[in-house]
Amino acid sequence: MTKLKLTPEIAATGAVLSSLVLLVSVAVAQAPTSPDGHPDLSGTWDNGSGIDFVAPVQIGASICVRGCDTNPRGVQAGDRPTYRPEVMATVNDLEARQVEEDTVLRCFAPGVPRIGPPDKIVQTSTELVFLYDDYTGNFFRVVPIDGRPHRTDVEPGYLGDAIGWWEDDTLVVETVNFNDDTWLTDDGSFHTTDLRVIERLSIVDDTLRWAATAHDPEVLAEPWELRTRTAYRSDSEILEAPPCIERDLDHLVEPLHHDNIR
Amino acid sequence: MNYKRLSVTMTLALLLAPLGLSAHHSLVAEFQTDNPIEITGVITDMEWINPHSYLSLDVTDEAGGIVTWHLELLPTSMLRKAGLTKALMIGDGRPVTVRIHTARDGTATLGYILKITYADGHYYQLAEQ
Repeated sequence: MTKLKLTPEIAATGAVLSSLVLLVSVAVAQAPTSPDGHPDLSGTWDNGSGIDFVAPVQIGASICVRGCDTNPRGVQAGDRPTYRPEVMATVNDLEARQVEEDTVLRCFAPGVPRIGPPDKIVQTSTELVFLYDDYTGNFFRVVPIDGRPHRTDVEPGYLGDAIGWWEDDTLVVETVNFNDDTWLTDDGSFHTTDLRVIERLSIVDDTLRWAATAHDPEVLAEPWELRTRTAYRSDSEILEAPPCIERDLDHLVEPLHHDNIR
Repeated sequence: MNYKRLSVTMTLALLLAPLGLSAHHSLVAEFQTDNPIEITGVITDMEWINPHSYLSLDVTDEAGGIVTWHLELLPTSMLRKAGLTKALMIGDGRPVTVRIHTARDGTATLGYILKITYADGHYYQLAEQ
């Protein structure tokens, strides 16, 4: 049997591999957790504001904000729910008149899941608070995780009533009690007051993964599973949203939405 | 509006921008996206609002009169993420040149900003050109 000779090259390779294992171990050990051992979702999260991520390029004293050569995080495009055949006439009618009917174009709250992942999360042992810095304003959702049931003493709202629980390292949020003033997404995607939304949030490689499923069997042919969104940890703080004042609708020559799918 | 009376520098860009200028943010319902122009004037105000912010640009015509353009641009959240503030956008009061799409409904003084170039040469590119 040939004995393996410990050459300088082999020793160096071993040292590098050992260092890598140590680095990975340290990284895993440092993943943030809450005092109760669950992942800590707290932080400010850059989700690209529902369109694409702003990746500005500094060129001396100039800045390229959009239309630059680089867009490292790519475009997170939207998708569409599938409606029951008997309600498609309503969907098509709303789509054709969406600049008149889509309340988000008049600065109303976008609803859930259309508002997307939260821009900031504050997590305690009994609740999480989701904060949003949306085009239409600042919004919040309180998600109790102490086992309490949904509230029955509040009026239906744009963002509904949420409760949450942990499934291993994933936070599951169930939201009900919506009004029917919002849409699920663009193009006539209406829903009823029986809408129920399940969101799943988890930390993967220090990014926030957000997935949502909309249940509304009265109008949807099947539950609508949105494409999973990724938000990146940010050092920026959310700010007070400027006023939302709509000025485009009077100048549109075609009844088209802005097409920034959300 | 009789454009022949304007003494501003208006360079008709023959560059044809694709309709999918920003495929995720189509402007075609409101603006003429295949024929951008350039105008020069002084920024007098900025409305830091959503869903789009607005710059007011005073342009001097041949008779010495002032024509105020209202120019739409990106949402404030995108400007903030790029490090831009209202003060940076307004600049130092010297004339700027803006490359814009004009309005399709005939509103003569409404446009959408693609790029702003300031007197010292620095610029902010806000959309695909």
